[in-house]
Amino acid sequence: MFTYLYEAKHSTSIFMERSGKNESQNSVIFALIYGATYLPAAWLLKHQMIGKPLSIIVAIIPIITFAVFVLKLIKAFSVMDEVRQRVQLEAVVIGFSLTAMLIMLLFLLELCGVSNPGWFGYGHLVGYCWLFYFVGWFVSKKKYDV
Amino acid sequence: MKNTIKVERAKKNWTQADLAKHIGISRQGLNSIETGKFIPSTVLALRMAKAFNTTVEVLFQLDDTEQ
Repeated sequence: MFTYLYEAKHSTSIFMERSGKNESQNSVIFALIYGATYLPAAWLLKHQMIGKPLSIIVAIIPIITFAVFVLKLIKAFSVMDEVRQRVQLEAVVIGFSLTAMLIMLLFLLELCGVSNPGWFGYGHLVGYCWLFYFVGWFVSKKKYDV
Repeated sequence: MKNTIKVERAKKNWTQADLAKHIGISRQGLNSIETGKFIPSTVLALRMAKAFNTTVEVLFQLDDTEQ
């Protein structure tokens, strides 16, 4: 009886670990799908190679893949162990704070007539946002040594 | 926060991976707890104590400065 209970508990924790891994892999796959739709869409729209109605559809596709990716990420977060949850939380907090700071700085600089849309357009801000998230992720991973 | 996870593991002759599997976290996560870089939740501490057939107080103690 006790052996059975032990085995059941053991297999549950293995299942939890495996499902956590699967969910993490899923979120990485959907992140890649998002990247694979975002970059070509940005390129197509930048070079104005398609008509306006089709442009709108092309502009929406990466948003849909991003939404799916975020849903998968939230699902992966819920099955992560608490150390990994902390790492992700800190990465998001650092990423969000640095992005908010950059946006505030750009807004204030714009008010005094100093701005460079060539480096700090909306598209660039998306890139900086991801960069700051990865900075936070790296810092937090180092902090908890995971 | 001090802990005696390593000692308790040695008593049971368990590796970090063994204990991590028992309590349902990653080995790296357990290493982070064992080295005192991460303080676990009450649930995880209780699960760990149960795996060792001991109490949370035996596994985790406050530092002198924290008391």
